[in-house]
Amino acid sequence: MTHDNRQNWVSASGIPLKPYYTSADVPATHRDNVDVPPGAAPYHRGVHPAGYRSKPWRILQLSGFGNPEDINKRIKFLIANGDAAIRMKHDRNTADHLYNVDHPEVLARREDVGQTGAVMQSIRDTELCLDGIPIESSYAHPGGGVVQHAPYALAAYWTVARRRGIELSRLAGTGQSDFFVTYLGCVTKQQIPTAPGLRLNADIMEFCDKHLPKWVPISIAAYNGADSGLNAYQELGALFANAVEYLDEIKRRGSMPIEHAAKACGGVSFRLGMDLFEEASKMRAARMMWRDLLQRRYGITDEKVMSMRIHCVTAGSAMTYQQPLNNIVRGTMMGLAGVLGGIQSLGVSGYDEALSVPSEHAHQISLRIQQILLHETNTAAVTDPLGGSYYVEALTAALVEKGWEFFEQIQNEGGFLATLDSGWLHQRAHENQQTDILGQSSGERVIVGVTDFRNDISPFEVDGFRGVPDAYDVAAARLEEVRRSRSSAAASRALRELETACRGSQNIMPAMLDALDSEVTLGEIGDVYRNVFGDWTAPRITV
Amino acid sequence: MADTNTRILIAKTGLDGHWRGASLVSKALRDAGFEVILLGMAKPDEIAQAVVDEDVELLGLSIGGHIDVVERIVESVRQRRPDISIFVGGVVPPWAARKLEAKGVEVYPPGSQLPDIVAAARRLTGLV
Amino acid sequence: MARLLSHIERGQGNGGPIRIPSPDAGSPAFTIGITGAPGAGKSTLLGSLLAHVAQQDVRAAAVAIDPSSPISGGALLGDRVRMQSVSTDPRIFVRSMASRGRAGGVSDMTRAAVRCLHACGWPQVFIETVGSGQVDVDVSTIADVVVVVLNPGAGDEVQVFKAGLMEIADVFVINKADHLGAHVLRSDLNGLIASLPAGQVRPDVLETVATSGQGIGELWESVSENLRQAEQSGELARRRSRRSARELVEVAQAMLKRQIDAATHTAMFADIQSGVVSGDLSVWEAASRLLRAIPMEH
Repeated sequence: MTHDNRQNWVSASGIPLKPYYTSADVPATHRDNVDVPPGAAPYHRGVHPAGYRSKPWRILQLSGFGNPEDINKRIKFLIANGDAAIRMKHDRNTADHLYNVDHPEVLARREDVGQTGAVMQSIRDTELCLDGIPIESSYAHPGGGVVQHAPYALAAYWTVARRRGIELSRLAGTGQSDFFVTYLGCVTKQQIPTAPGLRLNADIMEFCDKHLPKWVPISIAAYNGADSGLNAYQELGALFANAVEYLDEIKRRGSMPIEHAAKACGGVSFRLGMDLFEEASKMRAARMMWRDLLQRRYGITDEKVMSMRIHCVTAGSAMTYQQPLNNIVRGTMMGLAGVLGGIQSLGVSGYDEALSVPSEHAHQISLRIQQILLHETNTAAVTDPLGGSYYVEALTAALVEKGWEFFEQIQNEGGFLATLDSGWLHQRAHENQQTDILGQSSGERVIVGVTDFRNDISPFEVDGFRGVPDAYDVAAARLEEVRRSRSSAAASRALRELETACRGSQNIMPAMLDALDSEVTLGEIGDVYRNVFGDWTAPRITV
Repeated sequence: MADTNTRILIAKTGLDGHWRGASLVSKALRDAGFEVILLGMAKPDEIAQAVVDEDVELLGLSIGGHIDVVERIVESVRQRRPDISIFVGGVVPPWAARKLEAKGVEVYPPGSQLPDIVAAARRLTGLV
Repeated sequence: MARLLSHIERGQGNGGPIRIPSPDAGSPAFTIGITGAPGAGKSTLLGSLLAHVAQQDVRAAAVAIDPSSPISGGALLGDRVRMQSVSTDPRIFVRSMASRGRAGGVSDMTRAAVRCLHACGWPQVFIETVGSGQVDVDVSTIADVVVVVLNPGAGDEVQVFKAGLMEIADVFVINKADHLGAHVLRSDLNGLIASLPAGQVRPDVLETVATSGQGIGELWESVSENLRQAEQSGELARRRSRRSARELVEVAQAMLKRQIDAATHTAMFADIQSGVVSGDLSVWEAASRLLRAIPMEH
């Protein structure tokens, strides 16, 4: 099928689209918002009136592979080039599961180790990553996107700081610890159930509130929900349902002011998809919904707290295997949607994402895309350039309405975590995937180079990432060394205390810091989790 | 309903659990009348054991990551069931895809359409 | 043996060229049925149980049955994944089976498969099934001991199915016992059990958390004890005799049905049928005539 016989004009999420829009299409409830300047409630136009003039969006390209030394080299290189952020990427085979490299599941896949990040099994590996790096003056992303890994990743970074005599209160950075990634998107083989996961995240929030005022403890990443199939308004609804779990838990504990908790999870991640105007509108809708949620449900009035900060990553799943250079255009368009939506930081997927771990070349192109957007297109000159567009305002209002509907559905199912446990959310994601793939076969959905326009007169062959040859052996040797040379008495004691902390209800972070400092290894901590919390049973996707 | 229902085993080779592709393929195969045994993330010995015990006619692997891991699985399986057909899907650079094809494994990269995969399953299990 | 099971599944094992020897009289062989609603955690529970018995050096096989799609005839068999880690243990054998249109999945084919497993050196065979409702009552036609797995919150369903459940359950397992409502379910079950007529053996009620292995040892103890007592009291023999009689009837009925179906294409059938249509014969008379006229083949 071609564009000529397309019948259904809808947004990517299925919202029917009119051939053109007029002022009458902006719903009455939203009309008064249209002329509100950016930086004023309800923030759909942006959280700051000067927008990118005062602070351009942060270029945040995550990459990482190899050994801790490679991460160290990369950080130093970036710092030398004026980028003051420390980004640490953990090898997923070990980190996501909290397995040491000698675990049979890792051993069976030894060549995969080191491809997605560095293996960090003990404090010594973290020290290698951060050797010679001024952490007291840097902004850190020490990793820990996976819920069960987050306490380890953060504690490791903070322990290095402590060992250097740096006060935790001086440290700036952000955690992630996101339910979407391993409970919905990429379900791990083993992980702690959702209830202890919530407990760990609340512990991290509390700990940061007391000891690390410059640290953003967690960041809800609905990206992974979207990339597993949730559409734009489902992504919105699910993200806020996730936020509610954290806020309600903190409220229940009474351990910190609710405003602090809101601020703590007010930095979120969305995915950027290919529907240019829907994605830009999604950001506007998100900011409105956040304010609405905090005000209505929690009675918060602090405007600063009610301003949502948004990080975006372009959809990895939109990157095609066929004709990979086309993906450079895709990355650009998705990035543009984010910029038009007024986001605070952006990562553009590598053009070779569907073929392998992104190469250096793809990484550079992604960086250039952002730099061109920032410096050559003049889109940074004016805040919320789409504001006032009848189409975009109507779409923004529609996404808010449908987003809340989905949010309510989740609440009716028992809340965000309940929809993960039951598989309800997976089912919604899967349904969209089905529709999409069937659309590809039927011709309703056109993907250039894949369903149509497959002719390629100049095939560009992607070499693809060739792997890190020695990551496994290096990590195995280091594990041996730690076991051999650490004080086993101190490590055992710390591990026992960590287990006690897990079984009890006190904040887990002090015991985790102590464990890291006593050179307890990643796998040992994972074993304690598995022992104490048991395993989450991933829901089966039926029919 | 067919009297001789053809059994297929689907497993994931890596430890990162992208389920989307395998899930969609499994369902398409089920809808085409196959009996699909889902193994999830499995090690070479587990996959080989399953192939034998479940006596399947076709093995489908959802792959990603290093090609050596996949090759090891193919080796293990073929040692015990030399006759079995194998096809794979997932993130695999062209040079690695060619290596697998040279070993008689069919490769379906991202963007492969479900009807083609189902047709392949029929062909590989002698239903066509 | 895996190939043999495939033959059996394809219907080539019954009365066909392959004869399955009965297990040695000297080596005891048992069948344990595990049933319960989807999501109750049967597969995870069975996986834990298999790991536990393997550790005690017991050889055990598991047959996990999942429903076939009534539309396509295909099936998604997702139980093995929860038993994976134990599946490579040489003392354990796991097989997935689609129900292939048989409600609940238990049929002569399953029985043949179980006999095959027993004969090939798997003295303990677990059958995992799910019925169209909460419980597959048919599992009692194949199992020596029936374990019914429930989750907290299932109180209402238990009330609805109580007659069926009480008849067949030897052991109730409250899985996910760490969830809210476990104790409520326990008292619901105890209440039902208390109202059983005197003299009837009371089923055990156990609690497990399959994902952490909690309660698995006690479950195996309970199952083993049930088997021991049933053997001693003669109940096991009685059940097997009842099941064997029922199986005989079912197989005979299947054979008869095949004969009748074959006969519908014959002139003789058309003849008899026209008698009904014309009013000369009542349908009852016609049926008797049909049965007398069908050549019996064995």
